[in-house]
Amino acid sequence: MQLAKQVIYLIRKEAVLEWRSKYALNGVLLYVVSTVFVCYLSFVSIPNKLTWNALFWIIILFASINAVAKSFLQESKGRHLYTYLLASPIALILAKTIYNSLLMMGLTLIALFFYALVFPFQPETDIPMYMVATVLGSLSFATIFTMISAIASKAGNGGMLMAILSFPIIIPVIIVLIKLSKNAIDGLDRSVSMDDIGLLVLINAMVMGVSLILFPYLWRD
Amino acid sequence: MKKIAFTLLMLTLTLNLFAQQADVEMADTLRSNGKIYVVVVCIVLILVGLLGYLFVLDKRLKKLEKKSGDKN
Amino acid sequence: MNRTWWKILGAILVVYATIAGLLLGVPRLNILNETIRNLYFHVPMWFAMITLFAISVVYSIASLNRPNEDYDRRAVESANVGVVFGIFGLITGSIWAKYTWDQFWSFDPKQNFAAIAVLLYFAYLILRNAIDEEQKRAKISAIYNIFAFPMMIVLVFVLPRLQASLHPGNGGNPGFNTYDLDSRMRMVFYPACMGWIVIGYWIYTIRFRIRTLEDKQL
Repeated sequence: MQLAKQVIYLIRKEAVLEWRSKYALNGVLLYVVSTVFVCYLSFVSIPNKLTWNALFWIIILFASINAVAKSFLQESKGRHLYTYLLASPIALILAKTIYNSLLMMGLTLIALFFYALVFPFQPETDIPMYMVATVLGSLSFATIFTMISAIASKAGNGGMLMAILSFPIIIPVIIVLIKLSKNAIDGLDRSVSMDDIGLLVLINAMVMGVSLILFPYLWRD
Repeated sequence: MKKIAFTLLMLTLTLNLFAQQADVEMADTLRSNGKIYVVVVCIVLILVGLLGYLFVLDKRLKKLEKKSGDKN
Repeated sequence: MNRTWWKILGAILVVYATIAGLLLGVPRLNILNETIRNLYFHVPMWFAMITLFAISVVYSIASLNRPNEDYDRRAVESANVGVVFGIFGLITGSIWAKYTWDQFWSFDPKQNFAAIAVLLYFAYLILRNAIDEEQKRAKISAIYNIFAFPMMIVLVFVLPRLQASLHPGNGGNPGFNTYDLDSRMRMVFYPACMGWIVIGYWIYTIRFRIRTLEDKQL
């Protein structure tokens, strides 16, 4: 009960902070929109399904690294100490992950909207299924990147390390995601994709479990 | 030490060249005799790799020995 | 584990696997021909790699529970040797691939994922280099190691089974799944794996001992 209260409090705190300094949120949004626009200017139209899919995931990947990386990297020393005194580490990582998942979900859906605006969906796409893939993808990006950004921030030098550490871990997820979303684009029967969805959920659960166990060790100094 | 390393390097390089020249023609040695030479190349590579690794370890150990020699 | 018998055992196993692997009979398969013998040399590299990484994770867990320089050194050195075996596996694999599948790198899930698994541990080693303070380095890299290991298991064991692969056992190309890996091949294959795992462990202990000495001298 205590834990749930703490988590909710921390999420609210995070959201309020984000809302007050709109810079980060707007920055990521602008990043996504302008990337899509740049892609539109350079590609004009994408007749190939594979390219369409791959481009979308690349945009999302980089946007999410930028969006999630700040969650630990940008915290000042004082704020660290403050939250450390205030809440248990498990509540903190849960709050960060949930907050980042929500943020990422919103971000990817907005990105998908803009993306579909300039590059229309391929004719036989199973759109609800594609939405499921994007939501699952944003969830897994959020869980993995949150933990990695915690590690990178503790290691001391941010952005570069973040990319190096996260790419090998995120690649398997991306492979499954691209397969799943390609099934959706081809309009295959939904039962075909169940395996992939199961695997993604499994990976997410695993990552969540491992980060819940490990984060307390990381957090105390 | 450097010489040995260089020889090893050249050896591995020429091995690669062998392989590259080989794939121009189809009826070459690496594909003949039931492709047994592919196995040979792999074994040689593992051996060369392990031996090279041994040299690296040896070098580290030598440094250690020198240092501990200075102390005593 | 400072006794010698297991080192001799490993050496004998590897020598046996090499000789028997080259001389004993193997099933006659079409595209593979004699390269099937590579099974005794290429595949054990992966087994050795996985074992070494597993050792590394075990010591990472130990060093998280009870911070100790020794555990940390063991974790790094086994990861180091594991990466070397991974590179051997990649190189021999790509040469084998060249003469059976016609390309050094055919976009095969197992090849890709093995490469990514090796990358993962390169990232681990880079992370270690990025942190100067020793205790902090031990802790953070142990955490990353434990975080990465389950991902590597998914990568190497689960994902390849979901996709069509050129590797035997998937996609119906001539290979050595349960039907083909006959008793003759088992007689060589298992000792070969055992032997290479022992050799890998041996190299790791040597590296660990050198590292310990080096740290003491500083």
